[in-house]
Amino acid sequence: MRSKPKRIGVFVCHCGINIAGTVNVPEVVKRLKETTDVIEVIDHQYCCSDPGQNLIKETIKQKNLDSVVVACCSPTLHENTFRKAVASVGVNPYNCEIANIREQCSWVTEDKEKATEKAVRIIKTIIKKVEYDEPLTPISIPVTRKAMVIGAGVAGIQAALDIANAGYPVILLDKNPSIGGHMSQLSETFPTLDCSQCILTPKMVEAKQHPNITLLTYAEVEEISGYIGNFKVKVRQKAKYVDWDKCTGCDICVGKCPKKAKDEFNQGLSERKAIYKMFPQAVPNRVVIHRENCLYFQKGACRLCEKNCPFGAVKFDDQDQFIEFDVGAIVLATGYELLDKKMLGSYGFGKLKNVIDGLQFERILSASGPFMGEVRRPSDGKVPERIVFVQCAGSRDPENAMAYCSKICCMYTAKQAILYKHRVHNGEAIIFYIDVRTGGKGFEEFYKRATDEGVLYIRGKVSKIFEKGDKVIVWGADTLTGKKVEVEADMVVLATAMVPSVTKEFAQMLKITQDEYGWFTEAHPKLRPVETLAGGFFLAGACQGPKDIPDAVAQSSGAASKVIALFASDMLEHLPVIADVNEDLCSGCAVCIDVCPYKARELVIAEDGKKRKVKVIEVLCEGCGACSAACPVGAAQQKNFKDEQIQEMVKAGLE
Amino acid sequence: MKQLAYYPGCTLYTKSRNLDLCARETAKILGIELKELETWNCCGAIYSTVQDDLANQVAPIRNLIEAQKISNNGESAKLVTLCAACYNVLKRSNRNLFLPENVIYRKRIMNYLETDYDGKTETVHYLEVLKNDVGFNNLKSRVKNSLNGMKIASYYGCLMLRPSDELNFDDPENPMIMDDMFLALGAEPVNYAFKAECCGGYLLVNKPDAAIKCTLIILENIIAAGAECVATTCPLCQYNLDKFQIQTAKFQIPIFYFTQLLGLSLGVDEKILNLENHYVDPKPLLKEKGLLK
Repeated sequence: MRSKPKRIGVFVCHCGINIAGTVNVPEVVKRLKETTDVIEVIDHQYCCSDPGQNLIKETIKQKNLDSVVVACCSPTLHENTFRKAVASVGVNPYNCEIANIREQCSWVTEDKEKATEKAVRIIKTIIKKVEYDEPLTPISIPVTRKAMVIGAGVAGIQAALDIANAGYPVILLDKNPSIGGHMSQLSETFPTLDCSQCILTPKMVEAKQHPNITLLTYAEVEEISGYIGNFKVKVRQKAKYVDWDKCTGCDICVGKCPKKAKDEFNQGLSERKAIYKMFPQAVPNRVVIHRENCLYFQKGACRLCEKNCPFGAVKFDDQDQFIEFDVGAIVLATGYELLDKKMLGSYGFGKLKNVIDGLQFERILSASGPFMGEVRRPSDGKVPERIVFVQCAGSRDPENAMAYCSKICCMYTAKQAILYKHRVHNGEAIIFYIDVRTGGKGFEEFYKRATDEGVLYIRGKVSKIFEKGDKVIVWGADTLTGKKVEVEADMVVLATAMVPSVTKEFAQMLKITQDEYGWFTEAHPKLRPVETLAGGFFLAGACQGPKDIPDAVAQSSGAASKVIALFASDMLEHLPVIADVNEDLCSGCAVCIDVCPYKARELVIAEDGKKRKVKVIEVLCEGCGACSAACPVGAAQQKNFKDEQIQEMVKAGLE
Repeated sequence: MKQLAYYPGCTLYTKSRNLDLCARETAKILGIELKELETWNCCGAIYSTVQDDLANQVAPIRNLIEAQKISNNGESAKLVTLCAACYNVLKRSNRNLFLPENVIYRKRIMNYLETDYDGKTETVHYLEVLKNDVGFNNLKSRVKNSLNGMKIASYYGCLMLRPSDELNFDDPENPMIMDDMFLALGAEPVNYAFKAECCGGYLLVNKPDAAIKCTLIILENIIAAGAECVATTCPLCQYNLDKFQIQTAKFQIPIFYFTQLLGLSLGVDEKILNLENHYVDPKPLLKEKGLLK
């Protein structure tokens, strides 16, 4: 209970006309003065402004206040501002509370009289709250100054390099045997047409050689526990069946291996061996055996790779290994995939051989691709004389696939059409589009270049694609002339929608929210684009939404700078508004342990050696209040949200 | 024997006798009695999108009410249809009647019919009965004459599939239910691009050229995909695909109702199959396949 009455000051903000437009602020001040026993009530045009904050500080000093209520906008906006201000003049910041009379009152109430009455009641409840508030001190927790980056495409590599260059160790993890991601599959990049591999491989090599970066490829995250500054990550190192310390990447084994399988790196357009290197510039430049493809694993005989390896590197008894890491921050750079063509019914379900997606065409254009950079079509290797490109295949299509714009397709389709025309001079490139979106540096000029070089743009959607003989027939509409169009093409390239590569289960394990399509949700769409609502997790690249290379790289550097800022201090402050246990009341029933989503509660034996009771692990507690609601005897109480306090607040509001 | 309310519709009593009879007979073999509504009327033929077009809605709704007179083992009524147009109109009319914004409209129809209706009659297609009530695995074990790898192009047309969010019958871009059934009957379903394309429909009346164009594109695609015959559910599709082959003297591919091929494999009497009722004679193909003497 209160020992002596608190000295409370109330500051009512006009917020220009945001509050004062509907709430009669002078009247509020008058009523509060008449009906409460607070020391001071003052109003101000903008409490959050410097003069406003100074007014609060000066009043605290003059009237010797120990608690403050600011009646203004939502606490998500300025709670921090005012708590800092009061702390600077010696008031415990947790004894400064916000009464939200804007979002919860003036903005949602039309009647002036009612709004004024409501504002008074809201402020009165908060006055009651501060009467019961205790002074709290933030909890200090140590930070492990080491980061993990999940996904080693261009975004992950950039984030890892930036963090490593700031002097902190980084673990860069990828599920594939090599780092590089989708960018390593691309031929040339828009709008400058520089070779994707040529600009990426230096970064890949730099990541490998960097003393602060540990590469962990062919590995997947199994489990993440802990909290910001102190994560424990359990990683599954998939069995490679090759000792990478002995392997030199000489590829002799690959030459000898008799078993072929679909080459994932070439998007299924060619074959690789059961023992394989992802691509010639792979980093690390090592081979792995794909267990499901390998004759020895499937049929029990072969081992040709083992016999022929000059270094004795093949290791058939290799097994998946689990490794645990302690890290302080995690950067998610899990990237994207392309929408499965099976989703696109009217475009042939992915069953038509000469209807391919954008990444497949990138591989065809690539010098290390299935046709060594010559543009040929998958069914018979013929040089296509006419290619139809279909933009928005599964994007901007809420009825059948994704409602969003995949953002990169307009530009990469223009690029692919240009490259095709460079390689096949008499080739005809026709692009069906809904809109051409060229919002980016040099993008509009690049689109102009495509049209100048003879690429034909038809504005309209493609309704159907089917085979006729060895041709692919494309039915579409030209919405500028209002006519139906039928094009007989040799090959069709679908700019299929970008979709997130992470599964729901993975996101749930991380406790990172996703939007309806599975993209990770940032903490704030404008002001906190690289952070997540879960502390310690940062977003880099296309895992947050469709992005081109420059955007992905920029965001990665942003995420890295957030990590570096977090690592700047070896201690971290944790909010003290957390749960508490009244040991005299706790019966040790453990109901609260089950409901706690943060694993922040544990059972301990009391000093008398008999009684069990619950203890709060303070650094893990996020103050959600689930335990207080669940506790049958009222022993679990949230600091500054105690049952008694809330009851008094309710009473004050209903008076 | 299980009993389900059955709505044949006008065409099944006239031109498409084979579609109707084969369905009744095969259902009987599979332990289901298709019990025809005692008094039924036209389904409305075309789903009317005119909101104040009361008369057009009264017709299908009356049939749905009629279906509740036939017991379905205590469960709410199911009304089995075969014709794609009937299926489309009956199902959509029921849905439309119970949209929240149509309260007043519903009252007017009920006043007109001088009755009340809870909207619980579910319109199902016979294919759905075969899939969900009989089960394709079960069906497989009932086959007497396997269709012997006959290459069948299942043609769905549009009325059973679209609008897909209202009908919810099958994937509107790649329907598979009929293909799956034929697989169970021992046939080889043929994949092709025009499964769900329009056959030209009623354009055959006032713009036959346009309808012919539609059917020929479909048939060309079916034949290029290597099919030996076509199976449909809709009398109008069957007519267009069949008749225009003769009219244009192009192609010679038999167009069956799916119930005929089902009947054939379940050993239904040849008289019931009504194989004479076709423009392109299907008998030579069936003889070649050893399915007919």
